[in-house]
Amino acid sequence: MKLDVKELIKELSSLDGPSGYEKAVLELIEKKIEPLVDRVWYNKVGTLIAEKKGTGSGRLGIFAHADEVGYVVTKLEKGLFARLETIGGVDPKVIFAQRVKIYTAKGIAKGIVGVLPPHLQKEEHRSKVPSFDKIFVDLSCSELGEYVSVGDICVVDVKPVELNGKLCGKAMDNRAGCASLILAAQLLRNIRNYQDVYFVFSSQEEVTGLGAVSIAYELRLDRAIVVDVTHGDVKIPQFVQIKTGEGPALCVGPVIDKEFYSKLYQTAQRNNVKIQIEPAPGRSGTDTDEVQLSGTGVRTTLVSIPLMYMHTPVEVVDPRDVEETARLLALATTIE
Amino acid sequence: MYLKELTELDGVSGNEQQVREFISDKIKDKVDELKVDVLGNLIAYRKGTKGGRKIVLAAHMDEVGFMVTNIEDDGTLAFAPVGGVETQVMVGKIVRINGQTLGAIGYKAIHIQDKEQILKPLSIDQLRVYIGAKSKEEAARQVKIGDYVAFTTTFDQENNRLTGKAFDDRAGCSVLMDIIDKIDRYEDDVYFAFLVQEEVGLRGSAVVVEQIHPDIAIVIEGTTAGDDPELPEYQWATHLGDGPAITFMHRGYVVNKRVYESIIEVAEKYSIAHQAKRRTAGGTDAARFARTGAGTAAAVVSVPSRYIHSPVSMIDLNDYNNTVLLLQKILEQGEAFAR
Repeated sequence: MKLDVKELIKELSSLDGPSGYEKAVLELIEKKIEPLVDRVWYNKVGTLIAEKKGTGSGRLGIFAHADEVGYVVTKLEKGLFARLETIGGVDPKVIFAQRVKIYTAKGIAKGIVGVLPPHLQKEEHRSKVPSFDKIFVDLSCSELGEYVSVGDICVVDVKPVELNGKLCGKAMDNRAGCASLILAAQLLRNIRNYQDVYFVFSSQEEVTGLGAVSIAYELRLDRAIVVDVTHGDVKIPQFVQIKTGEGPALCVGPVIDKEFYSKLYQTAQRNNVKIQIEPAPGRSGTDTDEVQLSGTGVRTTLVSIPLMYMHTPVEVVDPRDVEETARLLALATTIE
Repeated sequence: MYLKELTELDGVSGNEQQVREFISDKIKDKVDELKVDVLGNLIAYRKGTKGGRKIVLAAHMDEVGFMVTNIEDDGTLAFAPVGGVETQVMVGKIVRINGQTLGAIGYKAIHIQDKEQILKPLSIDQLRVYIGAKSKEEAARQVKIGDYVAFTTTFDQENNRLTGKAFDDRAGCSVLMDIIDKIDRYEDDVYFAFLVQEEVGLRGSAVVVEQIHPDIAIVIEGTTAGDDPELPEYQWATHLGDGPAITFMHRGYVVNKRVYESIIEVAEKYSIAHQAKRRTAGGTDAARFARTGAGTAAAVVSVPSRYIHSPVSMIDLNDYNNTVLLLQKILEQGEAFAR
């Protein structure tokens, strides 16, 4: 049965998996990808690998991180309130008046991130955004509120919605990438891979990237394609504007292997895969940076899905970009 | 209680018809008269057994939200607040335009903001609504300038707490509807006024006095709480769970002393939990009733609400029930009330 790209992205985005707590996400991916590959397993640090043997030689890792940014409860206050710190980089401006879910030992507690109403605000409140020291979650709206403990994981409670064919929700970074790997595995039923392919769904990219580096080391890869997201439809001074709906962005720069990039670029051209070029003059801020340095070195490329409003509860991706990425990945496995 | 249905409707000031139609449909067979006035206020009337006085119970149907003020070349929508909404609560939310088209209010990623930008409050000109359109033409097929924009929060109830959008003042609307459901006829003539445009300057209430010439008006509101860890207790306006809040004064109006004291007497007589609203910020339609036409002895009873004027506010179920009970007992006093 062919997977529906929109449903797949929505399903993946709806699951909660902040760094270190990716289990639910990985279990769904495992279920989806297992019938499409030869073997699946997990490594020691919670990364899922799906292997599909090729007809020729070489070992290609295709990476997507499965984790998302989130929060952790760091303090409890009198009257059923909790304080949070972030897991990964989150702008405090996006968290006010959001519903949140807190994973307690007894189940999911509901919470609301409180905000002072305009009637009670003073100049000091208006002139500065409260930092996470000042932000609080109201747990009184939850039967499990009293069971919330320090160390419990917290995520924003949002459901993905469709905006004129685009998908909007949390954790599109990088569930869109995960979806493209699953779709690529499906395409390998028709496109035979020359290289042995390892689809890697890595943990903890948003904090250290340890999931990706550990498995890159274990697998002794020849080549790696990292699939992540990049800022779409936003002006970044001095940089070309990457657009949603125009296909994945291929990264160029020191963290990218020139030869592998050139082969990937030509593959895209030959097969009319819509791509954009994104320069990264130094580190790319993705797993690519560390995967390249693994073992005796890996020939890396980075393929990024354009995304709007990164690390907010309203991240937007165009499912056509996810499909185009999947096509590029499947074709890349034929590179000799 | 009608709060789930009421709060999930969109009714930004000036665009209250969804709410008005819902209420009208539910109460039309339970009252003696029902009409919609020139401004759009819905006024229901129930004749009293003695009919010596006219009492108005009022709640406003409108909520804060936004209006589309321009369609940009890139297909995003510029917008302006309708009523008091801080930019702080706008970012990262899904909104509904004109009751149908969904959009997102995002902001550029933390990775591409300067350090100072991260803790600097946004001004509204930095924000747009994105509806998935890539050009002005594409956007203009779905939305137009002047369209109303509302938050999309759904209602929830757990642990004796209710959460959702627009408790200010759908809580008041629901209280009035519950009182209508009690089908008691009281000694006084009772008017139930569901008002428009409170959030943009107490506008709907301005034409009510001339239509009714009431003796007493009681405004039922969802009011500020502020009882959270970021405010010291002495700065709280009300406290959730302590009962309906009774206002002695707010912006532009010192509540009629006779009515204020009579409300408290009734609460004490029937041991109904109640509290004073302990801040005087913010205004209500009571101020408008008091200063319109020949004036009205107006008062305010409120359901304390946390996080009002944001996409998700919270009230306590007991406070809500006690508000209904208190108003019911007030009406039951008949001609003895506020004499």
